[in-house]
Amino acid sequence: MPDIKPLRLQVQARIRKLELLSSSGLWILALFTALSIGAYRKFAFLPTLNDAIRSLLGSGPPVNFINWALVLYAFSAIIMVLTQMTGSKRPRGALSHFGYLSVFYTFYHFSDGLTENFWAVFTIGMTILSLQSYHVWNYYKEKVREEEEILAELNKLAEE
Amino acid sequence: MFNHLIVRAIVPITIAVTGFVVFGCLLLYSFIKADMIDEAVLHVDSLAETVVKSTRYAMLEGDRESLANIVDNVGTLVEVGQIRIYDEAGEVRFSGFDQAAETITTTIEIDAWSKQIMQADSPQRTDTHHNVTNTDGLIAVSIPILNEISCSTAACHFHAEEEPLLGFLSIGISREPLEKTLALLRSRMIIFSLMVLFLTIGGVAALLQMNLFLPIQHLAWCAEQAAGGVPVKDLPKADRKLGQLEKDFRLLIQQRDQAWQEQKSVDILLRKADHGSDRNSRNRNRDAGHQAAATTGSGQNPQA
Repeated sequence: MPDIKPLRLQVQARIRKLELLSSSGLWILALFTALSIGAYRKFAFLPTLNDAIRSLLGSGPPVNFINWALVLYAFSAIIMVLTQMTGSKRPRGALSHFGYLSVFYTFYHFSDGLTENFWAVFTIGMTILSLQSYHVWNYYKEKVREEEEILAELNKLAEE
Repeated sequence: MFNHLIVRAIVPITIAVTGFVVFGCLLLYSFIKADMIDEAVLHVDSLAETVVKSTRYAMLEGDRESLANIVDNVGTLVEVGQIRIYDEAGEVRFSGFDQAAETITTTIEIDAWSKQIMQADSPQRTDTHHNVTNTDGLIAVSIPILNEISCSTAACHFHAEEEPLLGFLSIGISREPLEKTLALLRSRMIIFSLMVLFLTIGGVAALLQMNLFLPIQHLAWCAEQAAGGVPVKDLPKADRKLGQLEKDFRLLIQQRDQAWQEQKSVDILLRKADHGSDRNSRNRNRDAGHQAAATTGSGQNPQA
């Protein structure tokens, strides 16, 4: 009978990796919370842009346009995450959601609409990222359970 | 397990619905607030235009008393929080309110701003300015009083022809009614959101419970009973909500019951057969003993 100790070690390493991945959604949530605190303080911790760069960038888009873009984004992002959940697909796109939300904060900031719309972006960001992290947690916990079953079988074999 | 299943089904729906409803309400509130402020700005613009038109003749005639009366009377309107006419140097000439009664900080702020606007090189001199984010609780507009031919050629007094601006009128209406309406809107939106949330989440949970979780729990209980040896005829009546799954489950239990019955029949037959063969062998042994006794004679042991 071949030695199954290296195989057991491999499975244990995989379990550790999957457990680490299962909490990755929470890290993104924490990152978004930190970004939101910065946005709430109107990014005061960042250096102000000088006039040359500001004029190069041009004026920000109208707040109304950003609002409609946010509605579209929110609707499609929720549908996308729910579709991933129902299909039990590998969770993807948490970082890109974080990126999109950061862009919304930036656009509102440059269009002087951040104070009015901060809570809208924060709420939808928390919703999308909470759903995403719930899916990440469920998906990787399921994988961990599968690996634990394999490990239990291997342990039985080793005892025999 | 089923509690876990219920939680897994309800949690994503709760997060998605709650988040989207709250987000929708916040955004809707922001839209409505912007629309109401636009409406208030239009109203204050119209009020300022009315004041400018009504003071035009008094200005042309240089009738300061009439001008002061008009400004005073407009200042008595409940909604008007501030009305002032500034001259070309940015100094207040007429005010609808006693300047001493007005807050000092506001006066200083406005005066500094008006002087800055009235500077000769200011590009915004001839523009209309709106201020809706004042800390004094007013939605204010400042409209320029432009020089016209009739002004520079008037007999009573005159302004230089090259001076484009004679002063400006600043009028502000209180934000209080707007804030009250917005507060009412906020509270109604919170109530409406809570109602939508309870109905949506409660409705989804009730539908899932009725159509999915209860039939699954029922099937699980039947499976537990069947595993304990209860035959299909003694199981509770089937729930049709799970369709083919329930039928297949009962078919499996039925097949198991049949297999048990057949196994029992086979066991009985085998036992009978065993019993029969035992009797035969005993009979055979007895017959063999009789034969041996007959050949050896009575009184002798055939085994010996």
